[in-house]
Amino acid sequence: MADFRKLVAVSLLAGLLGGLLLSVLQHYQTLPLILAAEQFETPLAEHVHDWQPMDGWQRNGFTLLFNGLTGFGFALLISASMYWRNQRGYLYGIGWGLAGYWVFYVAPSFGLPPELPGTDSAELHSRQTWWLFTAAATAIGLFGLVLTKQRLLQFGGAGLLALPHLIGAPHPEVAQALAPEALQQHFVVLTSINNAIFWLTLGAISGRLLRKVTFA
Amino acid sequence: MKTLAASPAISTSKFLPGFSAIILGLTVVLGLGFLQDANNYLHNAAHDGRHSAAFPCH
Repeated sequence: MADFRKLVAVSLLAGLLGGLLLSVLQHYQTLPLILAAEQFETPLAEHVHDWQPMDGWQRNGFTLLFNGLTGFGFALLISASMYWRNQRGYLYGIGWGLAGYWVFYVAPSFGLPPELPGTDSAELHSRQTWWLFTAAATAIGLFGLVLTKQRLLQFGGAGLLALPHLIGAPHPEVAQALAPEALQQHFVVLTSINNAIFWLTLGAISGRLLRKVTFA
Repeated sequence: MKTLAASPAISTSKFLPGFSAIILGLTVVLGLGFLQDANNYLHNAAHDGRHSAAFPCH
């Protein structure tokens, strides 16, 4: 399992760097929108006595930790895929980063766009289920479409890419948001750009770092 | 010309290290993005990150 340890090391470094970059982008772009949306939410907020990180370094620190750790997890998926296919270098990494962006961001948010706090949505578990189903179907579908040569698997892959969107994401019967629509749209645009930068950087760094290690 | 699709199948010795990395990666990502704890500690700590990564939140 020496190879596994090398994959973990590569992914840890790539994830921390990618997560740091994403945190900086979010701090200046989307966090102000989240804070603004919370101003509309506060009078109605539930669970006010639960512990929450204090605004400022504590809250930002947890976001940095979250981004670094999810970066680590996503980088593991990228580096393991490249390891299996004997690929290395930043160009392959960017390709896998693009795939990750599609699987984990574009396809799920096509049905469930990123939301500001205070937006009414369907019940959480049904949204989480649709999100997971969409990510899985998109990953398998992309594999079938791009990485196989049999016509049948390619057609099946294309079908899997479309399936979650034909079924449709769960939505509330009456959609309602506390924050103004313009704020929400601004949030979606910035989030989409930030996550694209994050994924492409994560892939490029992972691919570049894989050049530095020799596998058994 | 070597294309993506022309790469050889995964050799048996490479299966386990890669598979372990995938399982660990999915565990980390899905744990951080989806777990709801009774006291909302994890939810509140991960709140801004979840919103900004388009994970379903609340």
